[in-house]
Amino acid sequence: MKVFFQIFVSIICTLRLGWCQELLIEAESFDNPGGWVVDPQFVQQMGSPYLMAHGMGEPVADASTTVRFPEKGTYHIWVRTMNWAPGDWQAPGRFRLKIDDRSFEKQLGQRSGWGWEYVGAKEIQHNTVVLSLVDLTGFNGRCDAIYFSVQKEEPPASPRKVADWRMQLAQEPNAPEELEAYDLVVTGGGIAGCAASIAAAEQGLKVALIHDRPVLGGNASSEIRVHTLGIYGHFERILKKLDTEHYPNGSAEAKLDQKKRDDNVKSYENIDLYLNWRAYDAVAENDSIRYVDARHTRTGKRKRFSAPYFVDSTGDGWIGFWAGADFSYGRESVNTYDEDWEEWGELWSPEEADNAVMGSSVLWGSKETETEQRFPEVPWALPVAKTYEEVNGEWQWEFSRNDLNQIDDAEAIRDHMLRAIYGSFANAKKDPKNATRKLEWVSYLVGKRESRRLVGDHVFTFNDAKKGTKFPDAVVQETREVDVHYQTVLENEQNPDFISEALFYKTPRYYIPYRSLYSKNIKNLFMAGRNFSTSHVGLGGPRVMRTTGQMGAAVGLAAVLCKKYDVNPRDIYTGYLEEYLDLIESQKYLKIPESKK
Amino acid sequence: MRWSLTAIALFVLQLGMAQLGGTPSFSNGWSKSGQVQQPEFFIFPWEPGTRLQEKKTSLSIEIDSMGMQPIKALVNEGGRTTLYVSDISTPVCADGDCRLMDIRLYWTLLGGYAGFDRYRSAPLTKHDHDEFVYADYLKLHQLLLDDNSILKRRKIDELVKKPAQPEEEGVDAIAGATIKEVKESVVSGALYSCYTAWHLVNGGIKDKIKDLTISTLNNELLEQMLMTDNSDYQMFVLKRLSDRQYEQYYVRIAEIFGGGIPLVRTLIVKNLPETIWNSERLQEPFWGHFERIDINTRSLLLGHLSEAPASVVHGLSNKLGQMTKNQLKIYLEYLSESQFLDTSILDNLKNFSSDQREANAYLVSYFLEDLRL
Repeated sequence: MKVFFQIFVSIICTLRLGWCQELLIEAESFDNPGGWVVDPQFVQQMGSPYLMAHGMGEPVADASTTVRFPEKGTYHIWVRTMNWAPGDWQAPGRFRLKIDDRSFEKQLGQRSGWGWEYVGAKEIQHNTVVLSLVDLTGFNGRCDAIYFSVQKEEPPASPRKVADWRMQLAQEPNAPEELEAYDLVVTGGGIAGCAASIAAAEQGLKVALIHDRPVLGGNASSEIRVHTLGIYGHFERILKKLDTEHYPNGSAEAKLDQKKRDDNVKSYENIDLYLNWRAYDAVAENDSIRYVDARHTRTGKRKRFSAPYFVDSTGDGWIGFWAGADFSYGRESVNTYDEDWEEWGELWSPEEADNAVMGSSVLWGSKETETEQRFPEVPWALPVAKTYEEVNGEWQWEFSRNDLNQIDDAEAIRDHMLRAIYGSFANAKKDPKNATRKLEWVSYLVGKRESRRLVGDHVFTFNDAKKGTKFPDAVVQETREVDVHYQTVLENEQNPDFISEALFYKTPRYYIPYRSLYSKNIKNLFMAGRNFSTSHVGLGGPRVMRTTGQMGAAVGLAAVLCKKYDVNPRDIYTGYLEEYLDLIESQKYLKIPESKK
Repeated sequence: MRWSLTAIALFVLQLGMAQLGGTPSFSNGWSKSGQVQQPEFFIFPWEPGTRLQEKKTSLSIEIDSMGMQPIKALVNEGGRTTLYVSDISTPVCADGDCRLMDIRLYWTLLGGYAGFDRYRSAPLTKHDHDEFVYADYLKLHQLLLDDNSILKRRKIDELVKKPAQPEEEGVDAIAGATIKEVKESVVSGALYSCYTAWHLVNGGIKDKIKDLTISTLNNELLEQMLMTDNSDYQMFVLKRLSDRQYEQYYVRIAEIFGGGIPLVRTLIVKNLPETIWNSERLQEPFWGHFERIDINTRSLLLGHLSEAPASVVHGLSNKLGQMTKNQLKIYLEYLSESQFLDTSILDNLKNFSSDQREANAYLVSYFLEDLRL
């Protein structure tokens, strides 16, 4: 497939510019990524998945791929990369490009902001060469693409221009050519998306579950390792297939629950699981979504998914955003929903609305070994870590700042956390008692708490939790306290800016109405997960993953009735509520097969 | 069974107290003639020569099995209440073993923790009856300062052993960290004393004291609080000042803006009235702190760029290195739409874009590149 893509680009290029001989190699499509990881988290911001050398301080094995050149000749070579911690020190993530057995001298990964670095010129004497990325540091060097051209003309750098250039070069048709049709398309394979898929599939719907990672679970996955909290509500049977034990956040035990979850979801014949597919668009007409378009994170292949109903469980509310759904971001003013808690004032809910939100975590841990372990100097991390020392991370390792959007600036947030982690660990390693300690695991995925919130017919608020309002359409319930986080640096500038504090408000059992789980203005869109319809403070309680799992299961069942009566999500509330609540009740226990009755 | 043991122990304790004549007197800094020394553990500065007199209030604090103990105001020589205080004697019980803890607690005008004094004659002790050493008192002070301590949300029983995993009550911030967090925050071997003291300081009395202060609130008191460096006071006042008072006190408010905590600074930017943003003279002191203030506040300040005078917009072109990536984008976007983009600003932009040491130089290069289109 890969070879086809390169040739395709080359031929198209020929048509476009005459025989210009240029070739664009997407790094994530390398035949053998070696120790590099594919990072698709920031496609919407920087333009593409990329390869990253996430070695936690130890250089990773080379990534390599075979490249076919249409014509021999002398090519100029650029690499699209970024120095992720620029400053008055050597860039942390440096690497070299190698063609066959020859490495270029130039160390890459040194420019600020995503853009092209000139590698050098090379005479290509054979049509087929092996291209390799050689990591020099183990500290998150990154490569998006490699560009060969016989002309020494650097591709455009500014994000706006490079996106146009890429599209022109690839000359992809606007719509993916492959079309898949389903009863329900669920985007986002966190706990909410998995639960939605299972609930719908159990009732006979044909479901597509699109997820941009190789494993399911989102924040609960073995890649992020947040344990699941909250109660099961009406959905214990389903959620027990997906949740985690209560190990400390960041625990390697997450791997056991990972296998359970993946096996369970894969066991449903009518769930088509699209792992490593990342949605990039949702096409709506007359306020209804017709398609979700997705791209494979490694091969670049595209598919279009059609269905009468869609679930947005992306966490960031992407499907709703693309389709034009109303959404909110940040903190409402205290008077918007009367969410005051005088004891904590501005930290809880501000007098004036702002764009502060709960932050994202990057979990990590180290372990004791029997031998002395060295850890490199990390001068580029110390401006963030300062003198903070730690050997493990927990939920308090969290970062949010009002100039950083949790979606648009997620890469900067992740990188800030990496600096915090590496710097704090390097500081701790200076203590002789940590001489034999070794970094065991650092996530490279951002574990988000809060981002876009799609607006439904009801916006769930702190008061709904505080009063325990018993909505007629209550489908999710929770007893967990409402807790809202803030960065401790707000209270004391001497504190590290990557550590948060939680404020807890004890509530009675509270309920989330079905009306908070479908879009107000996109007729066939459900939402489940942290992007459900809630205020900032309202999200404080039910953002945890058994609760979001309940949301998923609830919308999966609602979709079943939508299909049965050929109606939209809102109609379930207005016309079929009793049947819907009965369906929720009846799915609690597996039906006895006819043969055993 | 444990509770009945506790009740017996308390009875014996109270009997003993009656024979000893009750609470021993404090030995340092205060007497019937007033308090002349700073409390040993204290959050405020203490001016030399300060003399505070105790004055009765309507407030009292309920002590477990000991009844109500009075809260007194501490009044300065000008007759103003500056603190609240109570001489507490409270039982501390662990597994049926009860002892008395004697401590003099101080609260701020808003009911926040202000400090404590120990009895020289009755030092605090741990469960093994060892006396607190100075470091233990200091740790207790740190604990009492933390009004969001884990002790707030947990019953004492939940702190002495690892709680069973609560299926019904998962808490993001607690599970797995409970024991470690508790150990780090309390005096080793004195969990019950710490727990008791924390709940006395941070319990319902806080709101009562605050309500009392609010009931006597006037402009003089607001001004008195604004002049302190206490961030709770500053927040309290900033939320109550009229637009006119913001103008009246703008010099002091700008001073707090420069030296206060980020939370106070952000409130100031949000609350500054239009009359200040309409005046070059009144807003300049705030922009003057641009380089020193925290990133969050700087972002909020940049939200007022369109109201800033030319001198400020020009000045900022010399401070591009202090801006984060997104702040720089906001500034550049503003420049592209404003009439201030002149040759001197352009020169500063060019210099910055070619400075290899500047991480965000490329953004300015993009901007200049787009300008040429």
